[in-house]
Amino acid sequence: MALEQANAGVARSDAASIVARRRRNRVKYQATQLAIVVVAIALVLLLGMLVNSGLAQRGINFTFTFLWNSAGFDISEGKTVVFDQSIGPRLTDFTADLNLAQAFVAGLFNTLKVAILGIVLSTVLGTLFGVGRLSTNWVVRNLCFWVVEFVRNTPLLIQIVFWYFAVVLQFPAIASAAKFHGVIISQQGLYLPTLTWQGAGDAVALVLLTACVVAIVGTIFDRGRARWLCCAVAVVVFALMLGKGTIAVDFPMASKFKASGGTSISPEMAALLLGIVFNSASYIAEIVRGAIDTLPKGQWEAAAALGLSRRDIVNDIILPQVFRVVLPSFGNQYISLTKNTALGIAIGYPDLFNIYGTVANQTGHSLEGIIIVMLAYLVISWIISAIVGAIDHRLNAVGAAR
Amino acid sequence: MIAKPLKWSHHNLFGKPFDVLLSLTVIPAVIWMAFEALRWALTVAQWDIIPRSIRVLMIGIFPADQAWRAWTAALIITALLGAGLGCVFALRRHHGLVLALCALACLAAGFVRDPVAVGFAMAGLALFGGTWFASSHSTVARRLVLPGAAVGLIAIFAVIAPPGVGLWGGLLLSILLTLVTSIVSLPIGILLAFGRRSRFSSVRWICTAYIEVMRSVPLILVIYWIWIIMPVLTPQLSIADVARGMIGFTIFYSAYVAEYVRSGLQAVPRGQVEAARSLGMAEFDINRSIVLPQALRVVVPALVGNVLDIFNAAPLVFIIGLTDFLRAGQMILANPEYSNRTYEVYAFLFLTYFLIGSVITFVARKLEAHLARGSR
Repeated sequence: MALEQANAGVARSDAASIVARRRRNRVKYQATQLAIVVVAIALVLLLGMLVNSGLAQRGINFTFTFLWNSAGFDISEGKTVVFDQSIGPRLTDFTADLNLAQAFVAGLFNTLKVAILGIVLSTVLGTLFGVGRLSTNWVVRNLCFWVVEFVRNTPLLIQIVFWYFAVVLQFPAIASAAKFHGVIISQQGLYLPTLTWQGAGDAVALVLLTACVVAIVGTIFDRGRARWLCCAVAVVVFALMLGKGTIAVDFPMASKFKASGGTSISPEMAALLLGIVFNSASYIAEIVRGAIDTLPKGQWEAAAALGLSRRDIVNDIILPQVFRVVLPSFGNQYISLTKNTALGIAIGYPDLFNIYGTVANQTGHSLEGIIIVMLAYLVISWIISAIVGAIDHRLNAVGAAR
Repeated sequence: MIAKPLKWSHHNLFGKPFDVLLSLTVIPAVIWMAFEALRWALTVAQWDIIPRSIRVLMIGIFPADQAWRAWTAALIITALLGAGLGCVFALRRHHGLVLALCALACLAAGFVRDPVAVGFAMAGLALFGGTWFASSHSTVARRLVLPGAAVGLIAIFAVIAPPGVGLWGGLLLSILLTLVTSIVSLPIGILLAFGRRSRFSSVRWICTAYIEVMRSVPLILVIYWIWIIMPVLTPQLSIADVARGMIGFTIFYSAYVAEYVRSGLQAVPRGQVEAARSLGMAEFDINRSIVLPQALRVVVPALVGNVLDIFNAAPLVFIIGLTDFLRAGQMILANPEYSNRTYEVYAFLFLTYFLIGSVITFVARKLEAHLARGSR
């Protein structure tokens, strides 16, 4: 009895001490937590104040009002947003009398232009390379392997610089440029014919356009016999619109020194795009090949046993599964592609970083500029990973059990 | 006699109608391109520009009479590389044979032109083989590798710093930058990786924010900004451009190293930590001697790949006015006398980069296969 009581007493005091120790630990944990936060904030503030006072000594104060100053420099390409009397904002070419905020917008526009084109083109090219590396054809297989290997093992910057100085700038001048079917390839840039819409306010034209769009959507998404019907309808309607003149083709015309009309791609953008597309395509090819390699061999064998041709196996069995696996890696590659557009500064492409460099040089507001540019890149990265994540979620939700 | 190639080509080139089409279009195109490239390389190209400007390409504007310093640094680097290699692969007889062949090629290629260079190259090969042999066959040597690397790095700087840090350039600068960045970013990256899974949520937050921000901005932006901001922070010290570039690279690549290390940390089974804890080990000791060695072992191939990434990013230092290998080539082309040699110089640059990059990739792949075999 006495022993039991004594035991109970020990247990109670043990429990009490454990509770006390837990409380002590929790307090210690929270105190450390607080201390770390305080130290971190103090460090950041100290750094900011040091930078601020250093800049103040050079006569530069931390403020974002400089953004409304007139730029005073020109940007060779790119659109920016203008607010004027017309309804809402509109896009125009950048001129020197617009303000610095609009210069940043023009830079962002150029970055996004190359990034989006690059993402689309490199995905297509990279998938081709990746499938090519597993081709049954020995020459194609080895060609793809060596191209991918070469691009991955050399710096991106030398590739871009090479495309610019050794390829694009070696094209003939515009007077003697290569022209075929309205495409002009010259030192001054690439010119492509574009379609222009002439049927404003014409009801028949609108009906035709709608029919054409519907038919194209059907061609892309229908997997049965209706696909061919849609395809035929699209072609016929398109021909009708061309014949009626509701859609006209705007061919670029070359004069002695410049070309006008159509869509033009500046030499800088062409070189940057070529460099980035080939580089990212090689990485994407490696991702695709890796994913195909890790697919169970049984998938190939089962499909072959069902009598599917190799092309059907790749298109309908392998690639759909591969895309589900590689999407996160593709997302990372898209983000690094977007970051790589900053290398355009080496060949004078006016992207966001280039504009930042000019602005920082002219006004000295490098700290504010860096915050803007960093935020822009962060937001772009987040958007890309959000989009990729959403597609990934959708694919994996719909997708069958893997 | 002929049956075998026929069968092979039937299998590999003309198996199906689509393959036939591909072969018929691709093979002539490849042959034509190879022929054109060879014809250009052998008849049109004037390769004399490469030997004439090799010094600028290799060491930039480093004074010519101080070239022995650069050579000595290169010797130390080869010794370090050999020692590092030996920790993973044992030196076998066929490796020795390849090294000997390299030495013979060096002798044959350069004997007539520059006996000093040949001497240094031979010494470099000998050192490489020697340290590789030592660290692969002696545990004492292996234990000396890490302190040796630290001493070697200091020695490299002691040897090539005196003429002026601002004079570093060419391939030497690219390699030094890669070396310093990959070594310094490793401990920082490990700390960040541990910080990302710390007990304290504030530490986790700070480390995650740092890593994510660094991974979503371009490297060129970080380098440029560090270069601008350092003199503002420390007006009384004037830090050399090279040092600022290295700091920028380290800040950026630490985040990448942290992500690689974190993936390794995740690969360590939980049972390892729990077993160590039940033995009464302290948290720090568990991380240092149980978790980290196993995690690093998994990520060694990825870290070697990261070294290649750093080397391939080294040309970005052009933005802060440094003359690395690529920039040195562009400087040569800027000379009006050589302006028509664009393709020769770029071909040389591409080949050198490709050679170095391929070696690093090869080592990474071998390591991966080696480690995969070990853990089976």
